[in-house]
Amino acid sequence: MIWEVFRQEARGKYHTHCGNVHAPDKEMALMFAQIQHGRRRPTHSLWVVPGEEIGEVDAEETTFGGTTDKSYRWAMTFNTDEDFAEEIAASQREQEQAERADRAGESDEDEADETATGAEATEEGESA
Amino acid sequence: MRVTMDIGTVEERAGPRQFGPKDDMPEEYRKAATRMIQFHANSEIMGAYLERPFIRQAPSLDRKLAFSAKVQDEIGHGQLLYRAAENLGIKTRKQMLDELANGEGKFLNCFHYPMDHWWETPMIGFFVDGAAMRRQATLKNTSWEPYAHAMDKICFEEGFHIKHGESILRELATGSRKEQELVQEAFDEWWPRILQFFGPTDDQSTHHDFASAVGLKTMGNDELRQAFLNAYLPKARKYGLEIPEYPRIHEHNDGRYEVVEDDLDWNEFWQVAKNDFEPGVAQIDSRKAAREAVAWVRESMETPSAGSSAGGVPGAAD
Repeated sequence: MIWEVFRQEARGKYHTHCGNVHAPDKEMALMFAQIQHGRRRPTHSLWVVPGEEIGEVDAEETTFGGTTDKSYRWAMTFNTDEDFAEEIAASQREQEQAERADRAGESDEDEADETATGAEATEEGESA
Repeated sequence: MRVTMDIGTVEERAGPRQFGPKDDMPEEYRKAATRMIQFHANSEIMGAYLERPFIRQAPSLDRKLAFSAKVQDEIGHGQLLYRAAENLGIKTRKQMLDELANGEGKFLNCFHYPMDHWWETPMIGFFVDGAAMRRQATLKNTSWEPYAHAMDKICFEEGFHIKHGESILRELATGSRKEQELVQEAFDEWWPRILQFFGPTDDQSTHHDFASAVGLKTMGNDELRQAFLNAYLPKARKYGLEIPEYPRIHEHNDGRYEVVEDDLDWNEFWQVAKNDFEPGVAQIDSRKAAREAVAWVRESMETPSAGSSAGGVPGAAD
């Protein structure tokens, strides 16, 4: 039986997919996941999910959004200034990063990381 | 064996994203967090209903698209937040949605007032959303991790909402004389409510002390209102809006603003807060009616085999 493994680097961060393991039951899956995915990189928590329980639909079966012009829902479209409030500038930075990632065809995992980085940037900026 | 964390430990450990569904939090924490997140979720939903008519009333295709995207975002924020609240084990999503429908669920003061005209939309889209964004950015550091995670996605999306709101404000403020007058009228009407957005001063706020001691809140009402005025008062002036004489706002030499609290209508505020304000009750009821009209959609998802005959004649939200 295949179990998909999701790793959380530190408390408060997101669990992101990092691989899978063979195991006969959940307990063993957790043990193997620890050995394979929790030993080298800093890890705060791991999730294991039976692979067959994961539903999937891909771009061959359906047409996803994100290909038509949706510029009306991006902050960058509106040419008012964003720098008067740090949280608005931060939101726009995150959107710009996501847009760049979309163009470069990066994976969802990288996107999640970028969003998290944006969040930290906001925290620092908030004291202003 | 998991032992429920005592309040002392909670206060000691309180910090950004410190507690999650795996922690056995004391009931007092879980109740306080539920109260706060449910209020926030309800506000997203009621705000979306207030803006929904402007998908139709928007004067151009661009504005229609932006308004429909925004309303969709806000409903999504409500759902994210109900999930974050549900994780606390005090109330289910269904309970919270029922409470909003039957008038028990509380939400932001500004969303109790009807919005009838296009020129009023920047009052919500720029000023109220801007105030909310100020507050939400601080909540990325709340101690309840699922709440902070919801805030990551909400803040990501919200930048567009506020810039869109400002873009409408600029268009009206630089438009015809008539448009300028109308936007000033809207501002005169909405400004006192916007000042009350952050609630009463901290010393009068009932829930502030505990929420901040356990890290749910990271900034007080007073500080947030200050931060809001610092950024948004200059904006109002920039667009030629005249700040109403009352409520009086004193500007101190150190750049600090002081709102004369007695100039604000706190009777109305508390009436609003208790869901007793008539226009607000009408808004709660109209959302309830929309929710009931589309109950058949939810039912057919739960039991597809029942078909559309189960709920009688299928209704529409409006």
